[in-house]
Amino acid sequence: MAQAGSIALAGRAPEPASGRLAQAGTIALLAGVGLLILPPLLYLASSAMQAGTLGALSIGSLAGLALTTLALAGLATMWAMALALPLAWLVVRTDMPFRNACRWLAVIPLAIPSYIGAMAYIAFLGPVGSVNTWLSSLTGSHQQWLNIYGFWGGVFVLGLFTYPYIFLLVSAALEATNPSVEETARSLGESPLGVLRRVTLPMLRPSILAGGLLAFLYALSDFGSLSLLRVQVFTTAIYHQLNTRFDQAAAAMLSFVLVLITLAVLLSQRALMSRRSYVTITGTARVARPLPLGRWRWPAAALAGGILSLSVFIPLGVLLAQTGSLEQFTDVLREQWAFIRNSLALAGAAATLAMIIGFLIAFSAKRAKGPVGAAISGTIQIGYAIPGTVLGLSLILLYNTYLPWLYGTVGILVLAYLIRFLTQSVQGIDAALAGINPHLEEAARSLAASPATVLRRILAPLVRPTLFAVWTLVFISAMKELDATLLLRPAGFDTLPVRVYIHTVEAEYAKAGALALLLIAFTALPWLVVMRLREKKLV
Amino acid sequence: MSGILCPLQAEAASDRLVIYSGRKEKAIKPVADAFAKQTGITVDLKTGKTSGLANEIRMEKAHPRGDLFISTESGIMEMLVKEGLLNPYQSAATKAVPDDFKSATGAWTGISGRARVILYNKNLVPEKDAPRSVLELADPKWKGKLAIAGTRERTSLAWAATLVAVKGEAFTKEYMARLEANGLKVLTDNTEVWQGVGRGEFAIGLTNSPNYYLAKKMGLPVGVIYPDQEAGGLGTPINPNAAAVIKGAGTPEAARKFIDFLLSPEGQRILVGQDYEIPLIPEADPGEVLPVKSIKRPAVGAQRLADLEEPTLKLLTAINPNW
Repeated sequence: MAQAGSIALAGRAPEPASGRLAQAGTIALLAGVGLLILPPLLYLASSAMQAGTLGALSIGSLAGLALTTLALAGLATMWAMALALPLAWLVVRTDMPFRNACRWLAVIPLAIPSYIGAMAYIAFLGPVGSVNTWLSSLTGSHQQWLNIYGFWGGVFVLGLFTYPYIFLLVSAALEATNPSVEETARSLGESPLGVLRRVTLPMLRPSILAGGLLAFLYALSDFGSLSLLRVQVFTTAIYHQLNTRFDQAAAAMLSFVLVLITLAVLLSQRALMSRRSYVTITGTARVARPLPLGRWRWPAAALAGGILSLSVFIPLGVLLAQTGSLEQFTDVLREQWAFIRNSLALAGAAATLAMIIGFLIAFSAKRAKGPVGAAISGTIQIGYAIPGTVLGLSLILLYNTYLPWLYGTVGILVLAYLIRFLTQSVQGIDAALAGINPHLEEAARSLAASPATVLRRILAPLVRPTLFAVWTLVFISAMKELDATLLLRPAGFDTLPVRVYIHTVEAEYAKAGALALLLIAFTALPWLVVMRLREKKLV
Repeated sequence: MSGILCPLQAEAASDRLVIYSGRKEKAIKPVADAFAKQTGITVDLKTGKTSGLANEIRMEKAHPRGDLFISTESGIMEMLVKEGLLNPYQSAATKAVPDDFKSATGAWTGISGRARVILYNKNLVPEKDAPRSVLELADPKWKGKLAIAGTRERTSLAWAATLVAVKGEAFTKEYMARLEANGLKVLTDNTEVWQGVGRGEFAIGLTNSPNYYLAKKMGLPVGVIYPDQEAGGLGTPINPNAAAVIKGAGTPEAARKFIDFLLSPEGQRILVGQDYEIPLIPEADPGEVLPVKSIKRPAVGAQRLADLEEPTLKLLTAINPNW
């Protein structure tokens, strides 16, 4: 991705002394990132190598698992794109009714953890869920009409709760790209569809790919919803080997293969990205004149409404029905306040760190260029693909053995969140930096501005909307994280997802529903605040 | 942010008992609260899946973080015994627990039990037709109507291993193959089983006795059979929930005190009252559930059962990988 923005310029000025200092900083930063992410990876690789065999697994079953996993993640990503792209375009570029409300609602699915989404959809579309029961009572036949369990249910649910990754990046990019390019194309007689296909979509490529990649990686590493929906993929197989077979070797081998698959995905994405590069002419983010939809205004609104019903209204409605009375709700709030506070503090700390480190890394990787930058952002991306359960166990082993003072504190949770979610920050900022014309930076540098000044005065203001976006992305991911938290939390330090999990397992659905709603509210809130501030041009 | 540092500070205190509990929080927390009130010892609970927590204990071997482990099944305890991760403890209180519900060396002790039962949906199966023996489930008349949790629920594995111990491997293999041919649905966990039966997705499920009471409490139309209770019958296994002191525990004294408290009349009353478990101490009041002495159970020692787990697992997964 770094390559997209790094068009080499002839006659480049020699590096000033401060450049060397910055280079040392870059190296230190990269070493730190390596130390953060590589040890659990190496541990995984060495366990897999030690095993040397597939244990109880056969090559055939491994290939089948790989095929199912890839197909599921691929279809879920396509489904997510099919939801996100029209919605983002309608909301940012057209005069669709309720487009502002849609923009707010469209990010809410990000606040709904996929395991909670799956839970809600099982209650709604499960074999004895509301819809099947209703259809049966309507027709008098007891046949099963719809079944959410299995492969297609997994695709359906994962797409529904990951599309905002694409929506966010794409709509932010739509806002940041200079609309004059599109307007020019339109004035030159290009049809609206032609503008979309030949101008808008190509400009959005980095954002679509970055968002799609996040959705794809999420689907590859998701455990919670897929285990609920009874889909056999890598993560559920790893969990099974680890926790019921106690076969760490087989689990490590499976995890290792999963990491290799991820690596292959990342490399192919990199190849896709480097083929062509698009750079906006200037740094101004002027608001585009909305495209009038005419008689398509209401059909467009209906389409957006359908998407939002599936991803927001239905799951929230199911959870509300589960929760029962308002009194119960406030009781839960009182009883579990400490856990809510735990979650907020943890996710806030992780998001802030990820934003700062992510910016520095994206900036350094952009400067480092070539293989170094690629290796760094690649390493960070792999962190996202280590399943939470596996990451948790390898962190226990590593840190409890070598840094026992860190393990057993909440610090280990922040560390785990950074490993898992740093890539969201790096990817987003990377994509934003890629859209900035290097001429701007070069011009400033030629006027003897130090790299720090360039960073502060040129790059930071231009990527500021993205910084807020990635802070929120990481905050949301950290708020929702369950698998690694279950393992790594110090005794007595539960988070909201852990509470939802415990109450679900213990079949206390009213409590689980109430806490899930609270989790969604506390996760969505900061995002809505940020969006409000952006609307008022306060950030 | 000050709240976030609490675990750091609390770690320094010596009178803090850390319990890793595979048992439901609903069942353990009330006991822990009563214990904390009585002794002044702070209790921190880490609730999770028994197998996941056992894995954690193995991983934390170098610097154990938990003091006491509560598991939902004895096979895992035996595995930890083999790896030398438990610290034996015997007292007057543990002596009252029947021998087949505790470790021969005192490494762990049962604290309550759950019987394997046949759960059926009353709307789909009239009471008089409900199967009285697990062996009847292989009858074609139940084809496509059966569900069980796979060995992800270790009580399922313990049930199958008991069958191997009592009837032999060849018999079990043939029986399980017949269940497979009968369309037995192997689900992820027991919650899916009892809820599936309760909602009519399956007519019959094999699960643990407390789930019957849970389903009944939720108003689901379920009935229960304690199978194979007739004279000369197999009996049905009772799986103990067990407690053990983790080797290298920071506060082993507190952990031991907690085990005694769990087995005291007050501890048993709270524990058993919460979650429809069967008290293992013959004198304890069983409340709503069947007392332990009224349930016929096969006499298989926990260690033998643990040894049979591996071959049983092979046998099951050869028939259906979903096990």
